[in-house]
Amino acid sequence: MKTKLFAIAAGLMTATALASVPAKADVKIGLLGGVSGPIAAMAPAMIDAAQLAVQQVNEQGGIGAGETLVGVVGDSACNPQGGTDAATKAVNIEGVVGVVGPHCSGAVLAAAGSVTIPAGIALITPSGTSPEISNLEDKGTVFRTVPSDDYQGRALARTMKDQGYGKVAVAYLNNDYGTGLANAFKSEYVDELGGEITQFAAHEEGKASYRSNLAELAKGGADTLVIFDYGDGTGLTILRQALENGFFDKFVGGDGMKSDAVINELGAENLASFVASSPVGAKSESLTMFNDAFKGVGGDPDAIFANTSYDAAFLMALAVEKAGGKKEDVAAAMMEVSNGDGEPIRPGEWKKAKELIAAGTAIDYKGAAGEHEFDAKGDVPGTYALFEVGSDGFEVVTEMQ
Amino acid sequence: MEFLGLVNYALFMAIFIGIYALLALGLNIQWGFAGLFNAGIAGFFAVGAYTSAILSTPAVEGRLGGFDLHFVLGWIGAMLAAGLVAWPIGKICLRFRSDYLAIASIGIAEIIRLVIKSEPALTNGARGISSIPRPMGDIGYMESQIAYLIIVLAVLIAAYVLVERQFNAPWGRMMRAIRDNEGAAKAMGKDVEFRRLEAFIFGAALMGLGGALFAHFNRSITPEAIDPMVATFLVWIMLILGGSGNNRGAILGAAVVWIIWSVSEIATDRLPHEYAVQAKYIRLFLIGLMLQLVLRFRPEGLLPEPLRGDQRATKSGADQH
Repeated sequence: MKTKLFAIAAGLMTATALASVPAKADVKIGLLGGVSGPIAAMAPAMIDAAQLAVQQVNEQGGIGAGETLVGVVGDSACNPQGGTDAATKAVNIEGVVGVVGPHCSGAVLAAAGSVTIPAGIALITPSGTSPEISNLEDKGTVFRTVPSDDYQGRALARTMKDQGYGKVAVAYLNNDYGTGLANAFKSEYVDELGGEITQFAAHEEGKASYRSNLAELAKGGADTLVIFDYGDGTGLTILRQALENGFFDKFVGGDGMKSDAVINELGAENLASFVASSPVGAKSESLTMFNDAFKGVGGDPDAIFANTSYDAAFLMALAVEKAGGKKEDVAAAMMEVSNGDGEPIRPGEWKKAKELIAAGTAIDYKGAAGEHEFDAKGDVPGTYALFEVGSDGFEVVTEMQ
Repeated sequence: MEFLGLVNYALFMAIFIGIYALLALGLNIQWGFAGLFNAGIAGFFAVGAYTSAILSTPAVEGRLGGFDLHFVLGWIGAMLAAGLVAWPIGKICLRFRSDYLAIASIGIAEIIRLVIKSEPALTNGARGISSIPRPMGDIGYMESQIAYLIIVLAVLIAAYVLVERQFNAPWGRMMRAIRDNEGAAKAMGKDVEFRRLEAFIFGAALMGLGGALFAHFNRSITPEAIDPMVATFLVWIMLILGGSGNNRGAILGAAVVWIIWSVSEIATDRLPHEYAVQAKYIRLFLIGLMLQLVLRFRPEGLLPEPLRGDQRATKSGADQH
């Protein structure tokens, strides 16, 4: 049995070694995501969106001198163990020139800290929202196409103050998304703007009833409940039970709460006092172009983080093209292809971008999920708007500053 | 695939195997020697990782520490903290037997995970702790991996030698006696409760050390790392496959399971493009299948527990029923 097992292990490795002689004309980028693990339901759509960008590149002339771009999928399992493992394989075995992903913040921190930063490979995550990622000592190699939770929380606090909200209670999901948003919101709303938060409480997901949490939150006399949670999950339960029992008059949500599930389940007529913040990317021309293209390959453009994943992969392709395929230059090139100056490039316009890069003209990618102008930390500011529920779904109330 | 890339990947795997081997050794003390079914490895792993992170990171506002100590102190602290946490847990839970202890320890690990996730003042909550210093971390990618591997190997060899010594010492024989026949051991005047607690604490301290090595290697630790799948059950599979009760078996099991776990992904990547995502699930299937096969055809593991003299005769006699 011992020998048999060794034989199997050895066989696997040999098969791997034999099979992985690369075709010369391929340029590879790693697409790391939480294929198995807690976000297994979200990951396939995100990876498909990234593969769409790869496909468009290849359809419109390929990368460099007509080489094929290949997206190598790796399973980061939404944890640091899987994240470092997948990143090590992508960088060392596949020889990728850049990494798109991983999806979860913990995996991003670990993969960047132990693999991509030491190896000098550019990494861009479509969904790692932890503020810790901003503070990495990354020598300019770590980027993201989704704003830090910190940014949205603060913008929402300022907008609510402008809109005249008074005393609020905050309920947030106890994970890095909910905690990050809630803390940023609290520090801006209370410390900077002098607002009042009467109750500030985390909740665990997946319970059948949150009435006791809500009763606790309602103490202190706030008329507004701010919910940082997901509108197709626990957030929906909380909102429903708060409405049923009349605990609060007004409701505010973060981008996770701007889900069609809320309208479908509760009915637009019951949501007159509900507003939610969300990236404005929601209505741009770029987004329409992405949505049409993604529908064309059978994807669901409303899938969460699909557009940021697409943007991350497309930006990576642009940066690789700009860097001439040299992996040590990709990170610097990433800054150049989306800094607000130059000829605008929209999703899918690979041919145009390729010609402009060849001619030495500056380009500026305007993505499906936002304009993605990176700051020195590789973060994007994000443009948010506050949405209310109208007769035709979500409608913009005001831009958030 | 370049040669240097392969070397880098092999180094990475060796480091991970070393870390997992420490966890498996810790479990071997608890399960292999003393027969304690601890299904809360992730909890002690986390205590060690976070303790070392807090001790060795520079001071940060808003959470406990950091104390900016040398990483060696962090690792010693990690062992002490994991042992200290294990003490009251063992005191209470070790009264349970086998599967009841497993249930209780799963619960304990979950409590530890939730505390870590919910106490920003202690552990920075769900965001975790980053910028943990990695010893020799600033000397280039491959060089720093080599340096870290040497450190991990040194720690592992030291742990192995010490545990192996204990195994062959009267202490080890006593533990096995308690495991195999508690009543007889008690009749011989052994303090069973105390000895079981001892084994539990030693094992937990090794798990804490493994956690600390993990955190420093990744330069960060987040609650996502305390996933029972990769921090508890994978370790169990390693020990069962390698051979519980055998320290070399524990290390071999860690190597075999991690290599299959990691390398199988490269193999499944050779499947056609359309299956790129689905193929990832084959890995989970492979590990499960392997465990089934081992339990069916070789329940004692690749390297079975070394038995001597009369014990061997009675053992094989008993097996023939």
